[in-house]
Amino acid sequence: MMPGRIGNMPISSENPLGLSWHDSAWIPMLSPSNIMDYFSERSNPFFDRTCNNEVVKMQRLSMDQLQNMTGLEYILLHVQDPILYVIRKQHRYGPNQATPLADYYIIAGIVYQAPDLASVLNSRLLSAVHHLQCSFEETMSYSKYHPSKGYWWDFKATKPGISPFNAGQSVPKEVSSTPKEEPSTLFQRQRVDMLLAELVRQFPLPIAQTTPNQANGVTIKSENTNDKDKTDNGNVNNITIKQEPVDSSSTDMTNGNISGHAEIKTEIKQENMKPPPEKKPRTL
Amino acid sequence: MDEPLVRYEKIDFLGEGQFATVYKARDVKTDKIVAVKKIKIGSRLEAEDGINRTALREIKLLQELQHINLIGLLDVFGQKSNVSLVFDFMDTDLEIIVKDNNIVLTPANVKAYMIMTLKGLEYLHQNWILHRDLKPNNLLINKEGILKIGDFGLAKAFGSPTRINTHQVVTRWYRSPELLFGARQYGTGVDMWAIGCILAELLLRVPFLPGESDLDQLTRIFQVFGTPTEEIWPGMKCLTDYVQFKPFPPQQLRHIFSAASDDLLQLLESLLAIYPPKRCDCTQALQMPYFSNKPAPTVGPKLPMPSSISKIEIDKPSLKRKLLENMDGGSRAKRLQF
Repeated sequence: MMPGRIGNMPISSENPLGLSWHDSAWIPMLSPSNIMDYFSERSNPFFDRTCNNEVVKMQRLSMDQLQNMTGLEYILLHVQDPILYVIRKQHRYGPNQATPLADYYIIAGIVYQAPDLASVLNSRLLSAVHHLQCSFEETMSYSKYHPSKGYWWDFKATKPGISPFNAGQSVPKEVSSTPKEEPSTLFQRQRVDMLLAELVRQFPLPIAQTTPNQANGVTIKSENTNDKDKTDNGNVNNITIKQEPVDSSSTDMTNGNISGHAEIKTEIKQENMKPPPEKKPRTL
Repeated sequence: MDEPLVRYEKIDFLGEGQFATVYKARDVKTDKIVAVKKIKIGSRLEAEDGINRTALREIKLLQELQHINLIGLLDVFGQKSNVSLVFDFMDTDLEIIVKDNNIVLTPANVKAYMIMTLKGLEYLHQNWILHRDLKPNNLLINKEGILKIGDFGLAKAFGSPTRINTHQVVTRWYRSPELLFGARQYGTGVDMWAIGCILAELLLRVPFLPGESDLDQLTRIFQVFGTPTEEIWPGMKCLTDYVQFKPFPPQQLRHIFSAASDDLLQLLESLLAIYPPKRCDCTQALQMPYFSNKPAPTVGPKLPMPSSISKIEIDKPSLKRKLLENMDGGSRAKRLQF
């Protein structure tokens, strides 16, 4: 979650918990021996250059002297070798007495200040409350009231407009593809298709239309295949209907030696095939 | 004539310079420890001119000067053909402290040394005297942690517009650029530059600009502060020993003095201004925010001392504390001091 968030404090400028720092030139060669040098880089916003470490370093003295000094200092607290280092900022009162002020962790070369417990709790509580509030606001937008009916939930009307939280569900997606129509369930569609297919099988459609075509021996064949395809594919999906004219035309191209028959066939086919393409968008 | 001989009892030999030998002695009259500087007679040729010039300067000037941060000339006495000067006894000097790697100079310590030096020098300048040989070795410190400016062998009155001075003054590392260019008329700026170099040395614990020759000294100065142009230093080219230098870009002082606070860098920049009239004087320096900001300067007795001297120092407070404890019946909790 968002680590830098605390109450109403300004994020980057004053609150160090929202900051991170790194120097990419150093990252490949970081080791326990040079990690303090890395941390004491001039540009590191977490490093106070008036600390005892820097005083001792500037005076070219041994770092052992830190023990005998009083005031602000940084120590390497913990090392988990290749990836994690923890540095502590503390105020030293004597060789055996020091008060921790802050911890910093360097993970994969990037320096962060470790938050105090209050900040962590504050941040977690705030984000929990924030999400709760969002959900309440969302819910409120679906509640409807009418003097005669009283209160009720209306999820349908408002969905296309305000539904950032339901966007992941499948229903609104299909609604958006055919926005004007009411959505149908998969169950409904399958049932209707099944019934239609059943009806088509019981009452073959093209009885009246086949009579002129019967003059051509070739075409009947193709129509039979068409019917077969219809019955086979009808249950599954109507998209296959689209392929029918292509199939039939290709068969026509191969079989149709006489150009005159072919012309008639295409005309008829167009008449026949018109309804299915129109249905397609509805059922999809 | 016999009285002074009896008055000072020699305790220890302290050191020997070019012109004098220094002994630690006890003043029988006041039971005070003093330093007796016995001026060497030198060769017959020198003796013909009378007393050694540096000794004469010290006697002449110090007789009239009285300040807590200037070495006090207590007495002068002659013995046979020798002249001896009696000074306050000082336990150590800043050079010894700077070179002692067991000592950490905290920002508060540095501030304390600077205040004492500047106060002494301010008094000196107010009396129209230039020290002309300021260096850590000449800033003497006693057990109470009081710093006194010593060695007035090169000190001279200044301010007379017609007087020509020699530029062969000040130990090279602390010598200002106008002296290095051979200026014959100069003012307090030469001392202020030296103070700036001493402050830098307190921070770095090594000489800031350790030039190997006069030319190398100038090179080192310009490598840090940038080669001055005629705009930065009008009239620079008219100086007798002026030499054209390769232009160096100026460096950021905060990169050299990485742990120095901003107010300290401000003081340092003001003390080490290349153009002499832009250099601050002691009064201006003491008014700068550095001296009124935190941390407060360390009080005298808490200033660090070399290990050989601090041993005596430790004995004393413990004895004092014992006495205090006895007075209070030993009931009060001790505050640990590290």
